[in-house]
Amino acid sequence: MLVRFLLATLVAGLFVGVVMTPIQYMRVVPLILHAEAYENGGPGIEPAHHHDAGLVSSASAHGVDGKVILAHVPAGGAEANPALFESRLLGTLAANIVTGAGFALMLAAVAMLTGRRITAQNGALWGLAGFGAVALAPALGLPPELPAMPAADLTLRQTWWIMTVGLTAIGLYCLILRRETALRVAGVALLVVPHLFAAPHPADLSSPIPPTLAAEFAVASLATGALFWVLIGLSVGFAQDRMLRAEG
Amino acid sequence: MTTETRSIAGLHSGTRLATGVFALVLGAFFVWGAGFAHSDALHATTHDVRHANGFPCH
Repeated sequence: MLVRFLLATLVAGLFVGVVMTPIQYMRVVPLILHAEAYENGGPGIEPAHHHDAGLVSSASAHGVDGKVILAHVPAGGAEANPALFESRLLGTLAANIVTGAGFALMLAAVAMLTGRRITAQNGALWGLAGFGAVALAPALGLPPELPAMPAADLTLRQTWWIMTVGLTAIGLYCLILRRETALRVAGVALLVVPHLFAAPHPADLSSPIPPTLAAEFAVASLATGALFWVLIGLSVGFAQDRMLRAEG
Repeated sequence: MTTETRSIAGLHSGTRLATGVFALVLGAFFVWGAGFAHSDALHATTHDVRHANGFPCH
């Protein structure tokens, strides 16, 4: 039963990851590619050297000299692309599948831990709550960023992001799933608190990215994120409904 | 398996807690790998998805 629950949730997440890939290629990924042209100072620059990438370099990354834990590739792009797949599309597909499975598991886990069940009927609402906590709330402090945009220290931003997502999720739980007045007030406070701690921003905000491109990307990213989360909720609800019927 | 297993919410609370925590940790591990790990290989592979999802990147 529990193994089936986990498998059903995983499959639901994998499915959404696959579905999201072409959707991202309609709007979000073209904007990322466009922005990468500004990374090295001008348009028309190859984003990365895919030809010398691929499985060989990924194997060495896991090898003896491996554990390549050099923070991030600095804006300006990797010299030798260490990606796990030669194809950028395949990498994105794999990352979407893993992300979809991960968020599906986490959403289902939250429902299970709070004694609720995600169904096909309420799945979209669960998804919207996930969107609020994981996409919208952190975007208020750290708007979806494009390559070549100036940004503060990565670890600081990740810490703020995780803190905001965690507090918002707990806040939404208190506000939506609890009836006690005190908890609801605490829920509202938890939604606000992360934004009282300013998100990390660089001292110098000047950027080679045209403002319109950045604005288009922020909106496209959030809209795509909303769709992703609604699909995650619906898909998990549908999968669990089916699993319970099969168990019936 | 008793009739209680018809509803996930009706599971024995200890089992539910353990499964829920396991699913939460496993899911967080996936999301961390795809969205947050500082490894060059993971960063390069998941680059577009990190930006698309608004994860902090670069």
